[in-house]
Amino acid sequence: VTDTTSTPIPGDGALDADQMAALPFDKALEELQRVVSRLEEGGLPLEESIALYERGAALHDHCARLLDSAELRVQRLVDGPGGAPRLMDLRPDDGDDL
Amino acid sequence: MATPGLWDEAPAPAEPPARRGAGPEEQSGPRVLSVAEVTRAIRDTIRRSPGLSGVWIEGEVGQVTVSSAGHCYFTLKDEKAQLRCMIFRDDRMGLPLEPRTGIRIVAHGRVDVFEPQGAYQLYVDGIQPAGVGDLALQFEALKARLAADGLFEASRKRPIPPWPRMVGVVTSLSGAVLHDIHRVLARRWPMARLIVSPCKVQGAGAAESIVRALRRMERWTDADSGRAVDVVIVARGGGSLEDLWAFNEESVVRAIAAHSRPVVVGVGHETDVTLSEFAADLRAATPSVAAELAVPDRGQQRQHLVALQSALAIGAAQHVARTRASLHAERRALETFRPAAYLAVERERIGLLLDRATRALGSRLHGDRAVLARSGDRLPTLLRARTAVARASLTHSAAGLAALDPFATLERGYAIVRSGDGRVVVDAAGRTAGEVLEVRLARGLLDVSIESVRDSGT
Repeated sequence: VTDTTSTPIPGDGALDADQMAALPFDKALEELQRVVSRLEEGGLPLEESIALYERGAALHDHCARLLDSAELRVQRLVDGPGGAPRLMDLRPDDGDDL
Repeated sequence: MATPGLWDEAPAPAEPPARRGAGPEEQSGPRVLSVAEVTRAIRDTIRRSPGLSGVWIEGEVGQVTVSSAGHCYFTLKDEKAQLRCMIFRDDRMGLPLEPRTGIRIVAHGRVDVFEPQGAYQLYVDGIQPAGVGDLALQFEALKARLAADGLFEASRKRPIPPWPRMVGVVTSLSGAVLHDIHRVLARRWPMARLIVSPCKVQGAGAAESIVRALRRMERWTDADSGRAVDVVIVARGGGSLEDLWAFNEESVVRAIAAHSRPVVVGVGHETDVTLSEFAADLRAATPSVAAELAVPDRGQQRQHLVALQSALAIGAAQHVARTRASLHAERRALETFRPAAYLAVERERIGLLLDRATRALGSRLHGDRAVLARSGDRLPTLLRARTAVARASLTHSAAGLAALDPFATLERGYAIVRSGDGRVVVDAAGRTAGEVLEVRLARGLLDVSIESVRDSGT
């Protein structure tokens, strides 16, 4: 049987949109910095550098989105049964020490 | 015996005015002194008075100013008089508290004359809060003991994580402190979660409550990620030495020093000093400053991202430019010698990549320019220039690509041959009779089988 598919081009950037959405800012920024350094070093085959570029662009967009859309969440700790701290939403009339 | 003073040695001088030390035989008429001489005489008199050096003076602190050199100037006053005081920068460092307008203190020092200004003042080398001498003594004793235990060593200080995901705050839920911290984090780093471990910050049981809150913070981990908070802020607003005392309790200082996460302490106003601050990994002047120090600033991160984005585009554009240059070289070779089919295949592949890169970079650079325009002056001109260069080289690349359409080669009668695994076939060696190959023509594909294999010559 003949395989008629052509050689695939590596590095399709859109593979892992879900993974990207879950990536914390610090991890995304770290990876973006690595991508930029590798691109700047040069010496990569074109396929790889384009794949890297696309990955970098996605990482950048993700970071920018996080920076612009984040809203601070505030919660408080209380001593739960057995002494294990539990997380609760903060209410305005909460006392200091339960 | 009275201390000899200025006026004792002012026998009527002669005319013309005699210098000091001139013989008494020259005197006739009043002696005229220079300003410096009088000032020097006053200074000497003061310096010789045993009651004016090494004195303790109690009073209320009036206006306080700190010079750019770091020396502190203030007045000490009571109902009847004022005394100018100054503390040299080096002496300020060792003081348990700094003078603040309105507080009563007991200052230690010597009175001396500052001759250029003709002013006498108290040169302060020690300060204690008035009326709380016991607390001040306790403070000093505990400070010395904890320092001896190494709790304040610089080598113990841990770095604050650069990108905290969860920021713990140990403070009271009532009062402005939590609100201030919330405001700073919401502005600078809203990607973080703020986790409060509440405690009393003054009065009976405050120290125990603070220690409990610190332990609670230590024991908690996020159910989803399994992570603990990245950094802890311990904060309290300003108050008297007694109000802030919980932060000088040994149990609190030790709990901060031994905490499993890096701790930033911001207690009181700029001038308040507590032992908790010495034990902290990072010491902040106020609660708001503590919040600023605990997280990065997203405005700066935006600029950083813009810079990274440009570097990314430039890096990729340079690859495109280099590949274009080597394609030109190949094309020249192609025209000189008989072109091999694999060149066309390579060019097809690279052409597609370049096309993809050009499209990606083109829209990206367009976006870059919009971002750069918005960033205005804050961005280094250099970046803008580099982006322009990258863009120019891309335009160039696109033009080069148009001239190199690999399908044009197929149109001229060449074909691309692939084996069953999709690899381009450029060598007859290794092929076997009967093997099926795929042949790509300008239009359409052929599946062909090999009749026989001959030498791998040209």
